[in-house]
Amino acid sequence: MTMTTTTAMPVGTESQLVIAPMLIVLAAAVGSLLLGRHPRTRAAVSLAAGAAYAVAVAAIDWYIVLAPDAPGIATYQVGDWPAPFGITLVADGLSAFMLTMVAVLGVASLVFSTRHLPGGEGRSYYFPLFHFLALGVTGAFLTGDLFNLFVWFEVMLMASYVFVAYSGGPQHTRAAFWYVTLNLLASAVFLLGVGGIYATTGTLNMADLAQRLADPAAYGLEPVPVVGLLGLLLSVFAIKAGLVPFQFWIPTAYRAAPPQITALLAGATKKVGIYAIIRLSFTVFAGAEVAVDLQLPVLDAAIAGESPLPFVGTALFLMAAASILVGGIGAVGRDSMEGVFAYSSIGQVGFIAIPVAIAATTIDPTLRQFAIVAALVYALNHTLAKGLLFLAVGTVRAATGTSRFADLGGMAKRSPPLAIAVFVGSLALVGIPPLSGFFGKFLVFDAAARARAGPVIVLLLVGSLLTIAYATRLWNQSFWGAETDAVETATVDSVQVIVLVVLAAAIVTVGVGFDPVYEFAETAAEAALDTEGYVDAVDPTEPSELAPSSGGDH
Amino acid sequence: MTGVVLAATVGALFALGTFLLLRRDLIRVVWGLAIISQAANVYLLAMAGIAPATADSVPILAGHGENVPVTADPLVQALVLTAIVIGFGMTAFALVLSYRVYEEHDTLDVTELGDRE
Repeated sequence: MTMTTTTAMPVGTESQLVIAPMLIVLAAAVGSLLLGRHPRTRAAVSLAAGAAYAVAVAAIDWYIVLAPDAPGIATYQVGDWPAPFGITLVADGLSAFMLTMVAVLGVASLVFSTRHLPGGEGRSYYFPLFHFLALGVTGAFLTGDLFNLFVWFEVMLMASYVFVAYSGGPQHTRAAFWYVTLNLLASAVFLLGVGGIYATTGTLNMADLAQRLADPAAYGLEPVPVVGLLGLLLSVFAIKAGLVPFQFWIPTAYRAAPPQITALLAGATKKVGIYAIIRLSFTVFAGAEVAVDLQLPVLDAAIAGESPLPFVGTALFLMAAASILVGGIGAVGRDSMEGVFAYSSIGQVGFIAIPVAIAATTIDPTLRQFAIVAALVYALNHTLAKGLLFLAVGTVRAATGTSRFADLGGMAKRSPPLAIAVFVGSLALVGIPPLSGFFGKFLVFDAAARARAGPVIVLLLVGSLLTIAYATRLWNQSFWGAETDAVETATVDSVQVIVLVVLAAAIVTVGVGFDPVYEFAETAAEAALDTEGYVDAVDPTEPSELAPSSGGDH
Repeated sequence: MTGVVLAATVGALFALGTFLLLRRDLIRVVWGLAIISQAANVYLLAMAGIAPATADSVPILAGHGENVPVTADPLVQALVLTAIVIGFGMTAFALVLSYRVYEEHDTLDVTELGDRE
């Protein structure tokens, strides 16, 4: 028995598809860096790369996840090293769903950026950084290894640091400094978690980890410390997702970054935090047999048996509840568009985290899957709506030079399509049918009702009312009323408005043709819960199964 | 014995890093970050176990047959190497950023920065 386990696995097209989006953005990043002196070619190359990325993601969606005879999951072993030793990339339903959101928003943001590049001297680095940000996000969604998750987080963060400091100006530099400090600290905590997990389990490959935790006796390991280490990792991911009490960096950082990047920060990098929480809690750590005696009276659903999940659920619930309140109340009081949306982002991520918490505390497998579907659909809605709204801030700022309510008013008369797009985006946040937001909100409420969690429903209601309050206020202050001086002289960029209208149309389309979206989300949730399928696909080889001679191959 | 010394060192490094992180001077904050990330690296290295390892205790060595000498776990060393490089780049970036803060605000004092909003 030599290395049959690896050679038997065909390196087929599906396997190569997994790595395709990463190669595309990497090539785009390097290419646009070399084209620094040719702005037009650089923009064209970036757009082409964005389109190619979208095609690659669509191919992953279809050939790996959605087609009738699709395998549902595909892996790429970098350098053809067998699983627990090499670097594994895995694309399954959950990764594909997340990648799709990034692709849609990324292309919109790219087209938007070709019209108006913020900043002066740093302008030639805009597109390379954009692609590096996308590379980090893509890598984080595809990696099957805890340490590589850390590395991709860093790639993503490095680009975002520069973007937060990008526009210059004293306020922005200061915001960037705190953003960098906080995230470097989080990185150190991430490393502590990774090191602890390696010491406890002897592996960092997620599939291998899941396999070992499900049967600790066979591997001679003691799984109890894993709960605490998972807590460390959870705090790191909560920082990325901007959950209270780790939300304080969001308002300043979102104000400092260029609007089209803020759209990505809110729509894509925030989702990396959510993705990591779902992937690690449900695919990797769910099987660990550790008794956790920690219950919240408000989550009436039966607590999941011997596993770290109740701990995750309780922690997430507390953070999500605080996020909804802090974000909603904060958003009502802001005096500029991006201020409102930044706080709203904190509140909305709470709405995504609530169903994840429900999924973690219930023992009913149907409800667990349903709750994850709710979280994913809500995340999709948030990506589309918040992406649109932050891009709209960019359009308004480019046109009028300001986004403060005091200087705005009457934008609806100035540019009706812009106003309609923002209106649709705000309604999607509020959750009006037939927009994507309606289903997101409906499913979250439904999950809470099925868990018979009365207080949670009250909390969600309060959050929704706050959303209506700030969305209405924003609309009245900036789009209604008499035109101010700044608005009267404004020239609205038509290409940017087209991007916004297309995103608004996407929100309506997702709402009207919801069935396929729901099915996709359902497939994604199934993949998130299918630990066995994940382990089988990655196929971590046991050291003892490797014949002594096999080492000579490398 | 080595274990205790190592644990004490990591603990001391974290304590020092946290102390510096809470200073008013931005350069000290950067120092604090650098020290904390080094502390995390030392901790990571220690997580492989500090006793000499053989093919039985280190999974990646088991794949290389019988003739493995007694050695440290090479995996964590690779991890730490990556982490050091990342931490190095980040520290450089934080330093450049604090220089720009100084250029724009004429001060590196956190409380003075806060007053100017």
